[in-house]
Amino acid sequence: MADEQKPEGSQVPPPAGGEAAKPAPPKPAAAPAPPKPPAVMAATPWDSDLAREIKERFGDRVGETSTYLGQNFIVAKPDAAVSLLEYLKLEADFDYLVDITAVDWPKRPERFDVVYVVYSFARNERVRIKTYIPEGFKLETAVGVHLTANWLEREVFDMFGIEFEGHPDLRRILMPEEWQGYPLRKDYGILQQDDRWVRENLGIESGQ
Amino acid sequence: MPDATFLDSTELVLNMGPQHPSTHGVLRVILKLDGEKVLGTDCVIGYLHRGVEKIAENRTYAQFNPYVDRMDYVAAISNGLGYCLAVEKLLNVEAPPRAQVVRVILTELNRIASHLLWLGTHALDIGAITPVFYCLREREEALKIFEKYCGARLTTHAFRIGGLLYETYEGFEREVRDFCKMFVPKVDEYEELLTNNRIWKARLIGVGILSAEECKEYGVTGPVLRAAGVKWDLRKAQPYSGYEKYDFEIPTRANGDTYDRYVVRMQEMRQAVRIMEQAVEAIPEGPIMGKVGKVIKPPVGEAYVSIEAPKGELGYYVVSDGSTQPYRCRVRPPSFVNLQALDRMIRGGLVADVVAVIGTLDIVLGEIDR
Amino acid sequence: MFKLLKKIFLVDLFQGLRVTFRNQNPKYIYTEQYPAERPQVAERYRGAPRLNNNPDNGETLCIACNLCALACPENLIVVGSERNEATRRKELTYFTYDTSRCMFCGLCEDACPVDALELTQDFELATYTREGQVWDRQMLEEGPKPTQYKC
Repeated sequence: MADEQKPEGSQVPPPAGGEAAKPAPPKPAAAPAPPKPPAVMAATPWDSDLAREIKERFGDRVGETSTYLGQNFIVAKPDAAVSLLEYLKLEADFDYLVDITAVDWPKRPERFDVVYVVYSFARNERVRIKTYIPEGFKLETAVGVHLTANWLEREVFDMFGIEFEGHPDLRRILMPEEWQGYPLRKDYGILQQDDRWVRENLGIESGQ
Repeated sequence: MPDATFLDSTELVLNMGPQHPSTHGVLRVILKLDGEKVLGTDCVIGYLHRGVEKIAENRTYAQFNPYVDRMDYVAAISNGLGYCLAVEKLLNVEAPPRAQVVRVILTELNRIASHLLWLGTHALDIGAITPVFYCLREREEALKIFEKYCGARLTTHAFRIGGLLYETYEGFEREVRDFCKMFVPKVDEYEELLTNNRIWKARLIGVGILSAEECKEYGVTGPVLRAAGVKWDLRKAQPYSGYEKYDFEIPTRANGDTYDRYVVRMQEMRQAVRIMEQAVEAIPEGPIMGKVGKVIKPPVGEAYVSIEAPKGELGYYVVSDGSTQPYRCRVRPPSFVNLQALDRMIRGGLVADVVAVIGTLDIVLGEIDR
Repeated sequence: MFKLLKKIFLVDLFQGLRVTFRNQNPKYIYTEQYPAERPQVAERYRGAPRLNNNPDNGETLCIACNLCALACPENLIVVGSERNEATRRKELTYFTYDTSRCMFCGLCEDACPVDALELTQDFELATYTREGQVWDRQMLEEGPKPTQYKC
């Protein structure tokens, strides 16, 4: 989230019918110009015992610990993400892995954000762990820490093509197994599909 | 994960679905059987994949709102609430009090509608044909209120970012009160039919046990988690939309089997009525739309907001790059995560229990596949 | 002992049967006799789209502002307009609405500044062809004419 990037390749022309896909420009242009929102997320440092403890423990393997809109997140180095998950589970009671997902920033050298959301029943607290990885980087799997990571990582693999080292069963989960391409990457257009797969398996010409 | 293609003389690989009536949609379960015993399962999902998250990246915030109804179409209003709350969080606005109360009423009504559909179909799977008629009859009453309120019965598009579009119609309070009054005896009726029924008990007790530790390990939430004895409900733990104002209990059970999950959901319906009764008496006057511009353009940032949907924790992780379209909108579907525990729940069980366990997870494939 | 007697005399079965027989009462009939008896849908029902005309002079209310087309998530509305040199106003030339892709979310209706486009209470939209689902301006003004059955 360090730099503002426009999604490229996602702005495909609208399906037949729409003459203009861009919504009308915001009206209050005449009003006194509001302060332009900062291009980076206006996060503030997260000051808590847990954040300090993590900093102490992991040193420079953990980047910023911040809060945005009352939600805390930790930026970890790719190799520290899973050990941080493990640490949080075993020593800080974050025993419920809510979600694993990714965000694609094609213009950044570390192309993907991989985001882990963990929750602690005991503390009633939610923390996000973010890690930035370049394309082709193999992240360590979290299945050894939380079993629920199994399908969630499979979905991230299916949608973004991010591989997880040591995952027991890394297959596509939502798309067909032989599908080409990773649909949630920004360079995959919304109308794009694997024509060859559709032709071979469904016996129809692609409808688009 | 079992090897799905494995087959030899003693073990049988059986395909259940994707067109099986008891898989509640297009779920395909590959069962590895030894006689009647289930040795392992593998779920094949994705038949209903429409790429909702991709669509979100190509629509404006307001335009994406109707699409979320189509994920968990049984509880469309809950989906809409979660999405609206997530974008409101990004915009840092809150819906006005009146909108919040109306939202709570409709969401709880939707919870009842969702649980009723679950009860009817689950009972049908087990072999009790009668409850489905009664459940759909009462669900109809709830759907009528939705239709009168927002003009659609199933995919409602009821809420807008920042509050509500529709003012309550005349007689809304009366109809909700009538529903509450009518509904509690009906729950008693279902319980009369099922709770003590010997076949029902024989089919459900001790089937598909998932302990509290396993629930946490698998990330299972909602009634399944509560049936295992964890008193956790996001409405209490991290209240949203004014849930802290209402007095209700979190029903829990200890064993974590299919029967307990049935009991928990029945109790939840009663609690939902309780919330509605309190909310309908306290609808404040005032505006229904918060301070949100015509074009929704949240500042750069990200937020994860989750609500307690009828199936469990429904989360939205929305990333904004400052444009009118979400840069990324991740949905954390409760059914998807809950379904993962299916293997643990039926491994070692009997093939006839598979249907009971799938039913008790209360999955909606529209949400799993998105 | 009590439990055993309960089991022998099938108490749970009769308990359930009591409920089913109670519901045999004809006043609980819910089924609608659909084609013969048309259901009354709610006032706010979002069904077939309609382009409203001014009831006084029969002219269309649409000002061809294109806001509905922009609001539509599915991009299924196409508005054609032409500037009238005499009045200096934009005038509607054609308006197509693809009901086959419509999900009846009502965003176009909300966007319309003059209440010209409206989702009405007509809900019978079946046609024999796909082309028939794309409604032109005339169809939108007249509305669908479903067959009425007499029983």
